Amino acid sequence: MPGRMPTLLALALLTLAIRSPAAGQETPSKTWTVPRTPDGHPDLSGNYDTATLTPLERPARFGDKLFLTAEEAAAIENEELTLSEELARPSDPEREAPPVGGDGSPGPYGNVGGYNFFWIDRGTEVFELDGRRRTSILVDPKNGQLPPFTPEAAKRAAARRALYKENAGENTGEAWWLDIEGPGPYDDPEQRPLGERCLLGFGSTSGPPSLPVLYNNLKRIVQTRDYVVILVEMVHDVRIIPLNREHAPKEIRKWMGDSVGHWEGDTLVVDTTNFGKTPALFSASENLHVVERFTRVAEDTILYRFTVEDETVWTEPWSGEYPWVATDEPLYEYACHEGNYSFGGILRGARLLEAEAAEKRK
Amino acid sequence: MRSMTTQPTVIGIALGLVLTAALPASAHHAFGAEFDPNRPVLLKGAVTKVEWVNPHAWIHIAVDKEDGTREVWMVEAGTPNTLLRRGFTKDSLKPGTVITVDGYQSKDRSNRANGRDMTFPDGTKLFMGSSGTGAPKDGKDPTEPKKPKQ
Repeated sequence: MPGRMPTLLALALLTLAIRSPAAGQETPSKTWTVPRTPDGHPDLSGNYDTATLTPLERPARFGDKLFLTAEEAAAIENEELTLSEELARPSDPEREAPPVGGDGSPGPYGNVGGYNFFWIDRGTEVFELDGRRRTSILVDPKNGQLPPFTPEAAKRAAARRALYKENAGENTGEAWWLDIEGPGPYDDPEQRPLGERCLLGFGSTSGPPSLPVLYNNLKRIVQTRDYVVILVEMVHDVRIIPLNREHAPKEIRKWMGDSVGHWEGDTLVVDTTNFGKTPALFSASENLHVVERFTRVAEDTILYRFTVEDETVWTEPWSGEYPWVATDEPLYEYACHEGNYSFGGILRGARLLEAEAAEKRK
Repeated sequence: MRSMTTQPTVIGIALGLVLTAALPASAHHAFGAEFDPNRPVLLKGAVTKVEWVNPHAWIHIAVDKEDGTREVWMVEAGTPNTLLRRGFTKDSLKPGTVITVDGYQSKDRSNRANGRDMTFPDGTKLFMGSSGTGAPKDGKDPTEPKKPKQ
């Protein structure tokens, strides 16, 4: 008997040891060691799927709670599954055209709707770190909400909303902008959003910081001793990040900013400044400063963390984190400019509505 | 009879709103910038060409008009990359296949519309596994399309 208890205890401990890596995704297991490149740094290279049902900002019902219970996570995932099943059901074969005057679709669906749900791919699960599922990507501020705008940024955001009505759901099919002071939203192709122009993917999918969007959430990381390259499937955005270098001079400005990286232990730290006037990140300015941290925490997971500072836009810095999960899916070509018929259509449409309005006023 | 035919339409609109309300306020372009809410269309016709391109696939269909003439319409869809991952290619929708599309005409008055709802004539959605659930593909359904060879 005296010898049996330690055996049972050992068995119990062994069971715990076997089970804990599965429950604690980014706590490195005792058996797993991070693969390294010949220069000794963790090997981050590979293809990753960054889709997640966990949103950037925390839904209000969760308050300050960062973690979801299993039931709450299942409810979110079931809601998505139910929605996709509902929207996959057959439509009425005798249906008529949608209503004159618009179907009331909000946001970028601009009173006309978008397209079927089967084109969408935003993941099927909320994400999990350290075995706990998250309510939001944002971890700081603690309430999981973006910090307030500065008064100047709030004023700019309101002016933008007023000018880009069609991007925010208000779409009457009329050239209303002829009645306002100053330039209209369709006067110049360079006024249009970067996504629409195929310059960067929408929703900061290119980053920095890189955020999950409706579809095409795949990334490829290629790593050498002196460079790390991140290929973003959407719009074929490519970030070329030199290691152990100074930033480019301040007057050199880039769509995705000037990124330089260095290793802090086993974490790749990427610092980005020198953005143009309109970074991919919504509302950010040319003063944006982003620090990203990439840590390979499991065979199939990179923990991606980021901090955003732009004191001319947000009243305090904000930070988030979520996993990039390795995938054997290939990345597909994007070639956005080649098929971007929408952009010409948008500008031609504006010219036609303006001509009609001018005719009516004669 | 009237109420029986209008009921599904009302449900369809409600589902459309559920969908759009559940999506983030960001997309490649604002549909409201491109399409005219005052020009709804219901198009039925045979596929003539599929442009399997980004940022949006365009499906061309030949629509017979009441006056006996035929015109080709281009219907805007989503990114083909999503469907490639689920095993569909541009060859999954063969020329000659008759489809029904409801949407809104583009503001430039060309024969273009958004593919708000693209179905076969019996109402079933395009690009669904034959089980038709639209549920995430997990390999458990033997009727799921096979992935293209890499």
